[in-house]
Amino acid sequence: MNWEAIELSLKLAVCVAGILLAAGLPIAYWVTFSRWRWKFLVEAIVALPLVLPPTVLGYYLLVGLGPRHFAGRVWQSWFGHTLPFTFGGLLVASVLYSLPFAVQPISAGFEGVDRRLIEASWTLGASRLATFFRVILPLSAAGAVTGIVLSFAHTIGEFGVVLMVGGNIPGVTRTVSIDIYDQVQAANYDVANRTALVLLLFSFLVLTTIYGTNRRALSIWRRA
Amino acid sequence: MSLEVAIEKNVAGFRLAVEFTADGAPAGLLGPSGSGKTMTLRAIAGLETPNRGRIVLQGRVLFDSEQGINVPARARRIGLLFQNYALFPHLTVTENIAFGLRQVPDAEKNRRVAQQLAAAHLDWLSERYPATLSGGEQQRVALARALAIEPAALLLDEPFSALDTHLRSALERQLRETLESYRGSTLFVSHNLEEAYRVCEKLVVLANGSVAAQGSKEEIFRHPPTLEVARVTGCKNYSRARRVPDGRVEALDWGCTLRVAQQFAKPPGHVAIRANHIRVHPPQKLNLENSGNVFPCWLAAMTETPFRVTLDLRIGAPPTNPADFQLQAEVFKQEWESYRNLPQPWAIELAADRVFLLPD
Repeated sequence: MNWEAIELSLKLAVCVAGILLAAGLPIAYWVTFSRWRWKFLVEAIVALPLVLPPTVLGYYLLVGLGPRHFAGRVWQSWFGHTLPFTFGGLLVASVLYSLPFAVQPISAGFEGVDRRLIEASWTLGASRLATFFRVILPLSAAGAVTGIVLSFAHTIGEFGVVLMVGGNIPGVTRTVSIDIYDQVQAANYDVANRTALVLLLFSFLVLTTIYGTNRRALSIWRRA
Repeated sequence: MSLEVAIEKNVAGFRLAVEFTADGAPAGLLGPSGSGKTMTLRAIAGLETPNRGRIVLQGRVLFDSEQGINVPARARRIGLLFQNYALFPHLTVTENIAFGLRQVPDAEKNRRVAQQLAAAHLDWLSERYPATLSGGEQQRVALARALAIEPAALLLDEPFSALDTHLRSALERQLRETLESYRGSTLFVSHNLEEAYRVCEKLVVLANGSVAAQGSKEEIFRHPPTLEVARVTGCKNYSRARRVPDGRVEALDWGCTLRVAQQFAKPPGHVAIRANHIRVHPPQKLNLENSGNVFPCWLAAMTETPFRVTLDLRIGAPPTNPADFQLQAEVFKQEWESYRNLPQPWAIELAADRVFLLPD
């Protein structure tokens, strides 16, 4: 079994989940509470990866981050290399690809918070930031947890974008899903089977653990 | 100790333009649903931004469209009691009350929370979560939370509407006691006029987004300035009216002519009388009395409550069906017992000092 690939996938998924927790909260907050009339454009862009074929997203990232385009050139001048075919490139692509999986549940959680509680917090002197951390976030924790779990699981399982942007470099960009594909190509069904099983069990374990704890955590103040 | 409000706000299909002042004594904001009560309250609290106008609380300008002043809700120091209380479900009673005291030093915070818990008789519930409290307890927590920040004004949005009737009177008494010791301005929104009458000294009556009347509650109830205000203050009986040459007033819809004690310079548009001011007597009274406003009447329908009876009555001729009535009288059961089995017509008395006139 290719432990290197498994380790790389885990590392990638943890990084993506972390980044999306940090970036997803403010984006979801804006999407939920902004009254800007063109907001739907941003919402559509955030949701784009849900409907776009991974190869299309991967293709644009590959080209856009490459040395011929602006973003790629800026990156190259700062860091001395381009992003495609590196772990960094994989990370950028995965974050973008999983963005809606984080933003949409978090945003749904925010929307579920009774508007009057937010207003009550304001009239009691709390700033918007304080209201966010003391009222909105605690009351929508389930949405945030769901968003992070989904982006984690989605990153472990992604294939098309990783292949386009990362290539297939052992230890650098060969994630576990690509490794399974390689093993199948090479007719190593034994190895493919074992790796796939590990991935399946692991994903299941993570999801049940987090959903289980999450429900208990949420029920504390609903218990009579 | 005063609150001055003069604001205008336009929202899709509705225009709010209200102007009133409230001093130390609790003021009631009375009006039917959709008259703009809640929106006015929200504008004062800073949760809605008026299009134009000015809000001044104890000399502090909270909003002034001309000077471009709009103090945010969090800095207004206004205690708002929401209709559904809006308690934070993830915080205990103590944490809810302490929510607005973040900037207050710990010792002072604990003192204020303890004081509020004691005043609202909530000590034994201090560690409970809102979901485990009854409606009345939730209301007390919400009031304690609003008072803990020592607000310059207290705004109460229908504080009893979500409660069972049997809880209301006890909580209302408690609220009146609390308001007596409270030193800021109080604005009490209600569509229940009896409640507003008991709690408040002054009334502001809203109708269709503007102030229809304001002043002392006694004055507004005795002589409502318009038909709209008469309706909002619970007057059920009104008729189109015309003055006749001998100085009396003809009630066109009731088919009778009335003496009216009230001095009224303008031509009357309507004549009105409250249901509890109408008196009904046994038939003998018809023969004895011919100077006062006494007329023969027939019963169309009746509604009974434990102590009172509402009689739907028709003057002049027997009704053809239960909906064929002109006046509603509210009488004590004891009185009603004295004539209920006597033959009709009974005698209806619309006392000259109880009927009042309304301009067109």
